[in-house]
Amino acid sequence: MADATVSVPLDVYRYQPAVDHEPRYQRYTLDLAPHTPVLTALLKVRAELDPTLALRYSCRSAICGSCAMQINAKSRLACETPVGPEVASHGRIVVEPMRNQGVVRDLVVDQTPFWRQYARIEPHLKLDPAQPMPADRPNPMTPEEVERFHDTPRCIACAACFSACPAVEADPAFPGPMALAKLYRFVVDPRDHGRQDRLVRIQTEGLWLCLRCHLCTDSCPKNVRPSERIRDLKEMAIRVQGPTERGSRHAVGFKENIRTGGTLHELKLVRQTFGLAGTAGQVGQGLRIWRKKPEIVKRPRPIEGREELESIYAALDEEDGAR
Amino acid sequence: MKLAYYPGCVAQESGRELDLATRWVCRALDIELVEFPSFSCCGSGFVDEANEVLNVAINVRNLAIAERAGLDLLTICSTCQGMLTLANRRYSDPNVRARVDRALAPLGIAYRGTVQVKHLLRVLVEDVGIPELRAKVRRPLAGVRVGAFYGCHLLRPSDETGGEPGEEPKSFEALLEALGADPVYYRGRVMCCGFPIQFVQPEAASRIAGTQIAAAKDHGADAMATPCPLCHISLDAYQNRAERAVGRSLDMPVFHLPQVVGLALGATASELGLSRHLVSTDPVLAKLAPGARA
Repeated sequence: MADATVSVPLDVYRYQPAVDHEPRYQRYTLDLAPHTPVLTALLKVRAELDPTLALRYSCRSAICGSCAMQINAKSRLACETPVGPEVASHGRIVVEPMRNQGVVRDLVVDQTPFWRQYARIEPHLKLDPAQPMPADRPNPMTPEEVERFHDTPRCIACAACFSACPAVEADPAFPGPMALAKLYRFVVDPRDHGRQDRLVRIQTEGLWLCLRCHLCTDSCPKNVRPSERIRDLKEMAIRVQGPTERGSRHAVGFKENIRTGGTLHELKLVRQTFGLAGTAGQVGQGLRIWRKKPEIVKRPRPIEGREELESIYAALDEEDGAR
Repeated sequence: MKLAYYPGCVAQESGRELDLATRWVCRALDIELVEFPSFSCCGSGFVDEANEVLNVAINVRNLAIAERAGLDLLTICSTCQGMLTLANRRYSDPNVRARVDRALAPLGIAYRGTVQVKHLLRVLVEDVGIPELRAKVRRPLAGVRVGAFYGCHLLRPSDETGGEPGEEPKSFEALLEALGADPVYYRGRVMCCGFPIQFVQPEAASRIAGTQIAAAKDHGADAMATPCPLCHISLDAYQNRAERAVGRSLDMPVFHLPQVVGLALGATASELGLSRHLVSTDPVLAKLAPGARA
């Protein structure tokens, strides 16, 4: 006997840019067992109710990464999202194409922006010309070396993170979480000869646009944790090159800002990040805020035990050779 | 209830209205705040970008201060909450711990890892409790539609925060309902406010903030409320820039979490520092029972 079924109202995004004026949502209602994946539901719609529904999928086993879409506004794989919990918490399932990529038709997106960003980071090993890959044996790594990037090869390039990312949405210069996680994978690969160059370049090619909102890490079906690898890249980039960009100047400036007093001096941070000339451009906004919040120009009271903080900095910041 | 009060930098400087409102609400709810002038900044995520281990160390120092006093820690900022929680977690990694301990041991600082880091939102919903709060409401926020705006670090990474599910949190809306307000559900409520790149790429940051405010407005919100003073800067102090970035006027009053609680519990506008906001909260106060504007 079949499991008890639930009534599943699916509101599916429909849009053919060449034909339709604007997108619409079409309601299909199915009776399904709660554990049924959303992908299975959509295939049932196509087989039994509406053969015109367009979607992309392949393996149905969370391996190929083809069926990423927005399910109740979350970017995820349709093949591993059961209908039951979605209906329980939302009363219905809104199915939409991924964001940050143009719609080709219905749930199918044009992934060109995603792959273009991936290509930009040159996702391949760059070998030292003086020491080519040995022809007669593998080029071995130690288990410790592999451990450093064992998370990132799990990526199946589904683009759920790219879809969820507000920095991608706000600025096309941002490479996106997946590309940066892949970049990390090559930066820490001991066989790669491009480490220094990669870290220097990425500082000016979007690294500092990451908002560390962790939406990528939460949306990743393979727990690659891109936001944490992006953090690693930021620290490594500062160590290789120093704070050359506004983003790295802000991070290092913040660190130095609290070194002596223990608490943030807001006005000083503006100068540390923008420099003297850049600060001039912030004066108008600063005055607007100052009228309501005059403390922004005051020097904050130092914490008690600030010498403890300085000692911690001395132990950990110098130990690392950071600037 | 007695907690170590960790106000964070912003609430002591440009966001003093948040500190003011927190103290008012805690007095009204018999939450004793124990102050420690030795607490340092949490690093706000920026120190973490520059030096991960240093970031853990300065926050373990903060946690150890609370531990010595035998208290859990109260935060009123999503980012402070995130950084202190992260420190608790990273410190359990033996490699990180060894390096942090090397820096702290000469100072006589030891941390056993016993301190719970609790944001005010969690204390209100879980420890005080919705029924108790509802019973204390003197000026229901009836007819006010409020869009909660959680702030990233309170929610994510959701497997590390130890709180409610990052994708579909409900506590803030439950709280708003208890205060008599109508919570507004909109996509932006769990999204980013743009603050972390406000100094890096102000246009993009403002576009992000504007997108979230516009979404709240389009869903009928009269006001937004946030448990994070950094979100408050993005949404309120920089709302003029957000308006320019999305090309429309927004006029959205944005409250700090304890300000909405305080209003419902009977505090006046001046007791909550509402005049310090860049976007006027008067349209909301006009909807409430008399007395709020004093």
